[in-house]
Amino acid sequence: MKRIMIDYMKCDGCKNCTAACMQAHREEQGTIYDLDLTDPKNESRNHILSDGRGGYRPIFCRHCDLPECVMSCMSGALSKDSVTGVVSYDVNKCGSCFMCVMNCPYGVLKPDTLTRTKVIKCDFCMEKGGEPSCVKNCPKKAIWVEEVQA
Amino acid sequence: MNNCFGCNTCKSADKPLEEFIANLPMETSHHRVESQSTKCNFGLQGVCCRLCSNGPCRITPDAPRGICGANADTIVTRNFLRAVAAGSGCYIHVVENTALNLKNTALVKGKIKGERALERLCSIFGITSGDLYEKAEKVADAVLSDLYKPEYVKMELVEKLSYKPRFDKWKELGILPGGAKSEVFKGVVKCSTNLNSDPVDMLIDCLRLGISTGLYGLVLTNLLNDVLLGEPELRTAPVGLRVIDPDYINIMITGHQHSMFVDLQERLIQPDAVAKAKAAGAKGFKLVGCTCVGQDLQLRGSHYKEVFNGHAGNNYTSEAILATGAIDAVLSEFNCTLPGIEPICEELKIKQICLDSVAKKANAEIMEFDFAKREQQSNEIIDKIVGAYILRRGKINVDFSNADKEWKPLIDMLVGAYNSIHQDVNLNLMPEHGNDHTLTGVSEVSLKEFLGGKWKPLIDLIVAGDIKGIAGVVGCSNLTAGGHDVLSVELTKELIAKDILVLTAGCSSGGIENCGLMTPEAAKLAGPKLRAVCEKLGIPPVLNFGPCLAIGRLEIVATEIAEELGVDLPQLPLVLSAAQWLEEQALADGAYGLALGLPLHLGLPPFITGSKVAVKVLTEDMKQLTGGQVIINPDAKESADILEKIIMEKRSALNI
Ligand code: SF4
Ligand code: SF4
Ligand code: SF4
Ligand code: SF4
Repeated sequence: MKRIMIDYMKCDGCKNCTAACMQAHREEQGTIYDLDLTDPKNESRNHILSDGRGGYRPIFCRHCDLPECVMSCMSGALSKDSVTGVVSYDVNKCGSCFMCVMNCPYGVLKPDTLTRTKVIKCDFCMEKGGEPSCVKNCPKKAIWVEEVQA
Repeated sequence: MNNCFGCNTCKSADKPLEEFIANLPMETSHHRVESQSTKCNFGLQGVCCRLCSNGPCRITPDAPRGICGANADTIVTRNFLRAVAAGSGCYIHVVENTALNLKNTALVKGKIKGERALERLCSIFGITSGDLYEKAEKVADAVLSDLYKPEYVKMELVEKLSYKPRFDKWKELGILPGGAKSEVFKGVVKCSTNLNSDPVDMLIDCLRLGISTGLYGLVLTNLLNDVLLGEPELRTAPVGLRVIDPDYINIMITGHQHSMFVDLQERLIQPDAVAKAKAAGAKGFKLVGCTCVGQDLQLRGSHYKEVFNGHAGNNYTSEAILATGAIDAVLSEFNCTLPGIEPICEELKIKQICLDSVAKKANAEIMEFDFAKREQQSNEIIDKIVGAYILRRGKINVDFSNADKEWKPLIDMLVGAYNSIHQDVNLNLMPEHGNDHTLTGVSEVSLKEFLGGKWKPLIDLIVAGDIKGIAGVVGCSNLTAGGHDVLSVELTKELIAKDILVLTAGCSSGGIENCGLMTPEAAKLAGPKLRAVCEKLGIPPVLNFGPCLAIGRLEIVATEIAEELGVDLPQLPLVLSAAQWLEEQALADGAYGLALGLPLHLGLPPFITGSKVAVKVLTEDMKQLTGGQVIINPDAKESADILEKIIMEKRSALNI
């Protein structure tokens, strides 16, 4: 299975991955130029945090081997695909209890800003062909995809 | 040879050039497009603010305001106004130097090549008294005194230079510019941190800067150059890398300030200068046109056929031109002189001399143009260039036949030894590139003369629908928007196929001409009606007005046609496209187009899409304000359809 690997030393906090993720998950089609950067509907699934010392902590979903989010989800909205390894989220099954948010050890998951009824979850850009948009758009090559043992 | 340096060169509309560049043993900008393909998406939308040390601030749903409180609209328009002000400043610098050169020429009673052009300016400015030189001085002074006015004093020539309905509109909108240099200053001040935060107010300022840029930086620079250098005359001339003649010492010029080359141009053909070239083993000197100053030389080339060999290409062709190995020196004086030429010049031992410190290149020798010392400077430049030639590809070619018998064998031996160890720079010429009969010398005057001294024949063709409308494809060349000149060339082809006559100016011209669209044979690419017109008149469907400065000429054509029809500019079936705009200067030009009320197509957005207000004002509200409108579309076919639709709407509004 594939995982996004991170070298935080290389990240310069440009948030291109953030904009790319927003672009990959927007509802209406369009180019990066007309992506509404102020619209919370276009929330990003990754977060770039400052480490407080001039560096950055890129936070990306690990699609964990033993995903705490999946294990804590009582309604079956989160599941790990045994073939691809991707941890995916089904909004229709979600009960909005946010146990997953509390249990993600990396703090990746969060309730959506607008309605607080669903979870904002990285889907490894499966709809975009499984090639993470964030990775493609990182100018520093701080993030990349690696095949890991499942 | 195939020691490819990176093999990932970008596409070019000019396929032979694309191949040439892909096979070069050195890196060019075309090789770097790939490695710069990850763009900062916040930068692209214009919502990255670096105005203060709290920043850079970027806009996201979590952070819709910068630390200071500026929202996306404020950040975008501040950035945009900065860019327009800088672009305006560049053109105002050019017109200032041109006017100074005219004034100085008048004071020393130097050569005035365009007496008719001077009379034209005098009649526009209302100057009636004085001899040739006094008049030239008065014209230059009138321009300079306007440029130097404070921002709160309106420039005097604006009304004289502009079309009445436009002037009235500008007055009504309160966008008549004060002193052009001060307007740049005001623009820069306004968009500094924690000053203006009103997006509409800043966009209105862009229009004001557009007017001063257009009338002074564009229109007047051309007309002043006409006086100094002679008016454009229609003729055909060679274009492309073929214009480089390896038998000569070749000097490539880049920039925008043609008036700085007046003296040198004359000197290069004097017998003593030619003798120096001959002694070094060359036949003489040739100027090779590149970028806009090359287009300007091409335009007026009938006045100095001997020294000017033709226009080789635009800004992003300059590296290829140098890579031929046959260029011995680069004289640069303004923008579009890519920093990327420096390592190539170093590698190929090409001498770089810079004539204006605003465009000082890192490894160029600076020789700031000084009118009073121009003759001495020309001589120095010639000597340095001959020196470079000898180092690069010179042979000792002095006639020693009369030397003392005793010394002759020794001299022969030394000359022979030198010639045998001297290693020439490799030549990698492209003698087939381009074509040798591109129509050039088109100006508002020469075109009108061609039409029999009046615009009526052209208007009749438009009214009859043989020419559906006119599109100005202007501005720069860049390496994005499909690749080098790809969008400009494709769009031009689409437009002419729709029977729309295309007029060009700027580096876009350089690409379009190298692709052959300005030769009479290109008529066959036009729609049936335009093709018939072109074949009857023996002209191409794309008319080249030359440098980007000549956007000013194009707008004179538009104004004169509007005047003859008794309508305002926005009513004409006329559109503009700066499809591959590159620089801040292009944005200032664009602001002029909008002030004139013309639809302006851009292939790439000017870093404004992060602001809904900026997008709305520029693409929609502008129609009510000035009549103009920005259209953003990177697709040639779609863009041509949109522009055609606008032309058709304007035609039906005019009942034609
Ligand atoms: S918020 Fe939804 S996905 Fe997360 S644990 Fe609760 S039900 Fe499962
Ligand atoms: S892989 Fe796709 S969904 Fe996940 S963080 Fe990257 S861009 Fe967002
Ligand atoms: S795109 Fe790359 S460098 Fe930029 S913030 Fe994301 S991980 Fe860091
Ligand atoms: S001026 Fe405002 S938006 Fe710009 S960097 Fe400073 S705080 Fe951020």
